[in-house]
Amino acid sequence: MERLIEILEDIQPQADYETCTTLIDDHILDSMSIIALVAELEEEFDVTIPTVEIIPANFNSAQAMYDMITRLQEED
Amino acid sequence: MTSFFSVFYLAIFLPVMVILYNVCPKKYRPIVLIAGSYFYFYSISGKLLIYLLFSTMSIHHIGLWLTDIQGERDGVLKEAAKEEKKAIKAEYLKKQRRVLFFGVMLHLGILLVVKYTPFFATNINTLFDAMGINITLTIPKIMMPIGISFYTLSAISYIFDVYRETIKADKNIARLALFMSFFPHIMEGPICRYSDTAHNLYKGERTNYQCLTFGLQRILFAMVKKMVVADRLNDFIQEVFTNYSQYDGGVILVGAVCYTIQLYMEFSGTMDIVIGTAQIFNVRLPENFKQPFFSRTISDFWSRWHITLGTFFKDYIFYPLTMSKPLKKLTTKARKRLGNHLGPMLAGAIALFCVWLSNGLWHGAGWQYIFFGMYHFALILTGNIVEPYSRNLLKKLHINKEGLPYGIFSMLRTTCLVIVGELFFRAEGIKAGFAMFKNMVFNFSITSVKNGQIFALGMDKHDFLIVAISVIIIFVVSLLKENNINVRGEIAKRNIFIRWAIYYAIIMFIIIFGAYGRGYTPVDPIYANF
Repeated sequence: MERLIEILEDIQPQADYETCTTLIDDHILDSMSIIALVAELEEEFDVTIPTVEIIPANFNSAQAMYDMITRLQEED
Repeated sequence: MTSFFSVFYLAIFLPVMVILYNVCPKKYRPIVLIAGSYFYFYSISGKLLIYLLFSTMSIHHIGLWLTDIQGERDGVLKEAAKEEKKAIKAEYLKKQRRVLFFGVMLHLGILLVVKYTPFFATNINTLFDAMGINITLTIPKIMMPIGISFYTLSAISYIFDVYRETIKADKNIARLALFMSFFPHIMEGPICRYSDTAHNLYKGERTNYQCLTFGLQRILFAMVKKMVVADRLNDFIQEVFTNYSQYDGGVILVGAVCYTIQLYMEFSGTMDIVIGTAQIFNVRLPENFKQPFFSRTISDFWSRWHITLGTFFKDYIFYPLTMSKPLKKLTTKARKRLGNHLGPMLAGAIALFCVWLSNGLWHGAGWQYIFFGMYHFALILTGNIVEPYSRNLLKKLHINKEGLPYGIFSMLRTTCLVIVGELFFRAEGIKAGFAMFKNMVFNFSITSVKNGQIFALGMDKHDFLIVAISVIIIFVVSLLKENNINVRGEIAKRNIFIRWAIYYAIIMFIIIFGAYGRGYTPVDPIYANF
């Protein structure tokens, strides 16, 4: 989780990733940030994030992203 | 029967459908809707109904084909050792991709042939001519079934969603037939997703008091937009865009503003009648507009205008492209070299280019539409690139980005950019678009307004006044909606006298100020031709 928050702060520094649950709904992360984020997460956590996972529910909070990564790692 | 605003549709077809739907037992109601939808389609496109039938049958088959492969894969995976699973998944993914490719190409191929053959043939002839090659391709006349640009996208989204396993393939071909053909959305959308609408449509829920009144109110509001505003503007717009070389920049500017208003009123009015009609049948269709003229950026505008087309392109072109292996690699490399802001922009720009080229071409086979797409591509990309710099600049200038003055400025700036785009969109060819734009900027004058010439081009002073009053009323309704005030809900809370006073006022407004009958040419359904 710590590494995930580091990546998020590196990509878009202007948010409190510990508490925010509306990263997509409030346009804190836009489509360009998502492109960078997915590429970085795949490299860092050795998972493949398919297009079907690119939905607001999976990116609205750091916790949701963490859950998605854990799930994809288990599925792999 | 070509329009939802025709007497036949509103006074005969729709009431008959509502009565038949409600007198039939629940299990036969979807059949009534399918029969009515095919009748509606046939009344406009005749034998071209075969295209719709073919599309429906093909997605039914392709969906089941994909499900078979997925089922076989799951069976094999159950028996397989853990280390073999990855390879098995990859093997079956390849099989699925082949079917997906076949299905998408089949539908895109039909659309390309039917819609773009004359455009491609004309351009090849021009190219041959310029190169001195003495070959001339015959330009075929191909009849285009109504709504093909809309139902093809619904069909593609269905195949994609089954492939992605976000939905299960439907064994019931009647449900798919209704999803594809439902008469309110067949002509101009909204572009529906199977997961959102198919099952609700097929439920056959009875019309109740609330959905009937809400549906009728929405249809009434649609008639104000279409008959009072869009139709009244039609003769003036036709005159300005046809004989643009005769008028000064002031007239062109008024023409461009009026066309943007007309397009919005016609298309959003049609969406109101479409969604209102569906609501009468107790079906909720997705919204296609969300107060687009309150957008602060072009990107924001496109998330509020023709929403279902935008989300289609985002889900089936933008993200699949940016999430493809080559573009992911490009993003990773570019981020290391160019940083967090510009790094992802490269892959994003490639995907955005494809989205806007498709968007332009989807609207029509003409260079002005491609230009329209590229214009918005350039605006959105520039907006993304300069965003952090403009944010810093505003900070230094102590301008509050979230404040009302800057908000109003941003909305006006976006609206101006949209009006320029729509000028090219409506112009009769790309050359005409540039000539009009040049005239508007370099030959700007208000002489035609001062000497009254502008009031002799299909709309007199009273016509302009009626349009202005209607636009103000519709703007106020939009402003209330933007501030989360449910206007229809608020009206429903009032007592019967106030409610009916409002309804009668709207009906009288349409009867007195509607542009119908002799001396007016109603605008054709604009998006139905795309």
